[in-house]
Amino acid sequence: MRALKSEWLKLVSVRTTWALLGSMILIEGLTAGLVTGLSDIDDLRVRSVATLAIGTHLAIVFMFTLGALLSTNEYRHGTASSTFVVTPRRERVIAAKLVVGLAVGIVGALLYIAINAGLGLSILSSRGIDVDSDTAVNTYLGVGTGLVLGCLFGVALGASLRNQILTVVTGMVLFLLAGTAALFIGNDVGQYFPGEALLALNGTPGADETLLSQTQGGLVLAGYCVVLGAAGMWLTREREVL
Amino acid sequence: MAAEISVERLTKRYGETLAVDDLSFTVEAGRVTGFLGPNGSGKSTTLRALLGLIRPTSGTALVMGQPFAELPNPVGAVGAALDAHDVHPGRSGRGHLRTIAAAAGIPNSRVDEVLDMVELTPARDRRVKGYSMGMRQRLALGAALLGDPRILMLDEPANGLDPQGMRWLRDILVALAGEGRAVLISSHVLSEVEQTVDSVVVIGAGRLVMQGTLADLVKGDRRPILVRSPRSDELRALLEEQGAGVMTDGRPDAMIVQRSSLEAIGTLAAENAIPIFELTHERATLEDRFLELTGEKGNVR
Repeated sequence: MRALKSEWLKLVSVRTTWALLGSMILIEGLTAGLVTGLSDIDDLRVRSVATLAIGTHLAIVFMFTLGALLSTNEYRHGTASSTFVVTPRRERVIAAKLVVGLAVGIVGALLYIAINAGLGLSILSSRGIDVDSDTAVNTYLGVGTGLVLGCLFGVALGASLRNQILTVVTGMVLFLLAGTAALFIGNDVGQYFPGEALLALNGTPGADETLLSQTQGGLVLAGYCVVLGAAGMWLTREREVL
Repeated sequence: MAAEISVERLTKRYGETLAVDDLSFTVEAGRVTGFLGPNGSGKSTTLRALLGLIRPTSGTALVMGQPFAELPNPVGAVGAALDAHDVHPGRSGRGHLRTIAAAAGIPNSRVDEVLDMVELTPARDRRVKGYSMGMRQRLALGAALLGDPRILMLDEPANGLDPQGMRWLRDILVALAGEGRAVLISSHVLSEVEQTVDSVVVIGAGRLVMQGTLADLVKGDRRPILVRSPRSDELRALLEEQGAGVMTDGRPDAMIVQRSSLEAIGTLAAENAIPIFELTHERATLEDRFLELTGEKGNVR
């Protein structure tokens, strides 16, 4: 519990946290507003549900980075030494970071959904397009889960890699480039990459048929988090703090 | 009484580099112990081994007779400040201490108490980014004091302090040791700590050079002595009779004496009723002695 409180304070006591959440809200608001407001009406009729997941790839960048900073700030700013002197059982620190990552991930996901639903859905409805509520709930559930897992992925990857820039760049590549690149060259492995798993999890109809199902996407992404989280805990316990 | 800190045949090797080499020493309660050695001599590595942050290749580094990680209440046992730069620059001084206090189960009221002790209360809500080096050193010391620990381990705490800050640090460390705590402070500049420490552990190239009191360190001092006397010619003749080497210093009443001691010169002058205006080692710091002791082994590996 102590480690948890400390990690929460670390998160909320720096401006970067608020800047990242704020930027996510701003960008999501802009994207949802512009796409639903300015797109061709016939186009929207076909792709209305997809607009619910509009900008998730940008939102995930912010949520992943937030998670990554939770772990890597300790090494970037040298606070790892004092953290592990105060809590010599280092795996507890990483566990606490994962819990805090989960919490802020949920906050981020709720903000995303609130903005998207508040702005996107109301613009769609004002343009005479109604989205089936079951579909909307399903999509938002997938999108929200994706953002939460993205944040956890950042915490876990950061705990394993330690280096902030390396972690953020690796995350960007894994979420935004690697899977697409692998799918493009016709490799079935691509669908298991985090970025493609996230797309599947969003569950937007009309998505590429090479993708996994929504549930599979979620499980693959959750699997990454579990494996990386366990690796992060083990590595943090075993590695020396220089 | 058992030593608060005991390092026994500690060796730490990083690949080809031997950072600490068969090092043994102890630190007692109630005194300030200086942990001295040039940069790269293994001081920080030893402190990190004591704090369980790195694993010794061989040997032991114990705190209150136990490995640090096995202490039931690590924060109440040891307060450590390893590097004053190790703070998130975007957090306030108070915020920084609160994150540590939370992890240790220490109430926020203690944070404010400690901020007061290290005289940072006026700056406590400012972001650390804007702190001077001296303020960061105070903050690091504050963090170490949060748990009211029995042992303080401070790595280069005087680094970057102005003369006023040095005096403040000296007073607070002496007071803390006076309360019965063991205080271990490292430094690569002897003059920084010579007025603070009761005993010293000197290392060079990862090996123990000496452990003892400051007086032990000074013993065998061969540095030249400056003597000023209105009858310097007379005194000079007497000193040369005793086999001392005497050179002039440019001033008519001053000379530099070698192969003698402060005691011998003072006694000789008194016996011959020769007034002395000044009698001192040519430089008032112990730096030369320190370099003499560590120089041979002090090269960075």
